[in-house]
Amino acid sequence: MRRAAGLVLTAVLIAASASPVGAYLKLGAPVDGRVVDVTWKAPVRYFVSEANAGTASASDLNGAIARATATWQAVASATVRFEYQGMTAAQPGMVDGRTTLGFLDRPDLDRVLGATSFLIDTTDGEIVEADVFFNSRFAWSVSPQGTPGRVDLESVALHELGHLLGLSHSALGETELTGNGGRRVIGSGSVMFPIAMSAGTIADRVLQADDIAGISDLYPAEGEVASTGGLTGRVTKNGTGLLGAHVVALNPETGALVGNFSLNGNGEFAIVRLEPGPYIIRVEPLDDADVDSFFSTAIDVNFRVTYAPRMVVAPRGGSSAPVEIKVVAK
Amino acid sequence: MKVPRVPKVLWCLGCVWCQLLLSAGPAWAQEAPELRAHRFVLDGGVAWSGGYPIGDVDAELRSNATGSTPPAFTLFSASSEIGGAASAVARIGFTLTSRVMLEGGASFGMPHVLTDISRDTETTPQALEGEALNQYVIDGALVWHLPLRLGARLRPFVVGGAGYLRQLHEERTMVETGQIYYGGIGARYWFRGGSGTARSFGLRTDLRANVRRGGIDFENKARVFPSVLAGLFISL
Repeated sequence: MRRAAGLVLTAVLIAASASPVGAYLKLGAPVDGRVVDVTWKAPVRYFVSEANAGTASASDLNGAIARATATWQAVASATVRFEYQGMTAAQPGMVDGRTTLGFLDRPDLDRVLGATSFLIDTTDGEIVEADVFFNSRFAWSVSPQGTPGRVDLESVALHELGHLLGLSHSALGETELTGNGGRRVIGSGSVMFPIAMSAGTIADRVLQADDIAGISDLYPAEGEVASTGGLTGRVTKNGTGLLGAHVVALNPETGALVGNFSLNGNGEFAIVRLEPGPYIIRVEPLDDADVDSFFSTAIDVNFRVTYAPRMVVAPRGGSSAPVEIKVVAK
Repeated sequence: MKVPRVPKVLWCLGCVWCQLLLSAGPAWAQEAPELRAHRFVLDGGVAWSGGYPIGDVDAELRSNATGSTPPAFTLFSASSEIGGAASAVARIGFTLTSRVMLEGGASFGMPHVLTDISRDTETTPQALEGEALNQYVIDGALVWHLPLRLGARLRPFVVGGAGYLRQLHEERTMVETGQIYYGGIGARYWFRGGSGTARSFGLRTDLRANVRRGGIDFENKARVFPSVLAGLFISL
């Protein structure tokens, strides 16, 4: 018998600054003393709330969600399935056994475009229910070309559905500080980057290599594990492992960028579901978004961007031998 | 397309060969040293192959601009090449006539994949140490000894052939294969023999232009690079 336990995780997408979440590239849940991936074991059956926002209707939202679910389902290397169940009067955020997506008026979260919450079976990490709210305080757009000054609803839905599927934030992006203490994106390599593009942009309707690698890791299509490869290694500073370094792999043949973090005190990292071949590995401090968008513990960001000394091969069906990347303080 | 870097030593050798050939006059075959017909010829020596580019790439992020296809934001750029490297060469030939020989051979070298990083938004340009490859080439060629007299012991030839290229990455977890086509000029210098009637041995050098297809290449282009070979031969 399954035992559902509490509201475990909340992931957010933010307009101008990051808020705390406790996960990495993938969301995890503690099961029997170890962290397991949080995933759906069956098709995601979801409802859309009937509530309207000031600038977009529930019907608009339903359409944007349908397009976003289609985008995730179209990833050939993953097996993601959504099933639309209809409209509902229920609001997202209620523990009612239904996965509900809808507008919600959250004036208290004036920088939060949307958020995803989960109900997780703590015996095996299965997602039992997940709700997504879109903050109706924002001016939304569903125009195919985007609307200047308005946030693209489909782009935010695509990001939140990534969370709903079990992905956490990616750090694959570059930002600059703005005058009001927030951050502005200047480049993003992932739909799952925690800070949204500026209002009016629509480019984040398309998944990037980092998103595809992540979802393919959570829900690998048949043969995907055997046909892809991985990179492993260790980031060290002064001879000791470094937690929380952002590690990015570039495929020099395709230009695909996929990132992850060193995720333990030994500084070990792994990037999987990569097209087999040699990769250039770049390590950088996590300084382009609030650290607590990714980690609930303090991490060291005082080091210089560093490259692995050589290209590292992701072999088909396996992982590279660990490569050590030594970083130095700024 | 990038022009491969050709070491000065190869240019010098090429110039010397061209001068020799231009200054040589036609001669009767029997006036120049030659191999025995219908015999095997063994060669062994070293080759030096020039480097060649294998591709440039920009690590691009999606920029924060309106429109469905905003211009990219470059995180960094990488330019890679196979560095010049020496290899060990062994060949066996069979003389169809005293002038024409079919030969096959194999070589092994350990060139490096070299990568230069530039345009990084947060650090200075730098060169990576590089990845060492295990590279094998198995090839076959036709050699025609020219009816030119460069001296009592020296005879030029032209050579053309094709080969199978196998490149094994440093961790030995991935193999990439391709083809090599080449043409070139060379000469044999007889230390002993050369009458065409007895065993002989001497020195052989080749200067080649190679076209490589396949193998490690991030742009999947044909690449041209020079090579020079030097070694000893023995005609059985």
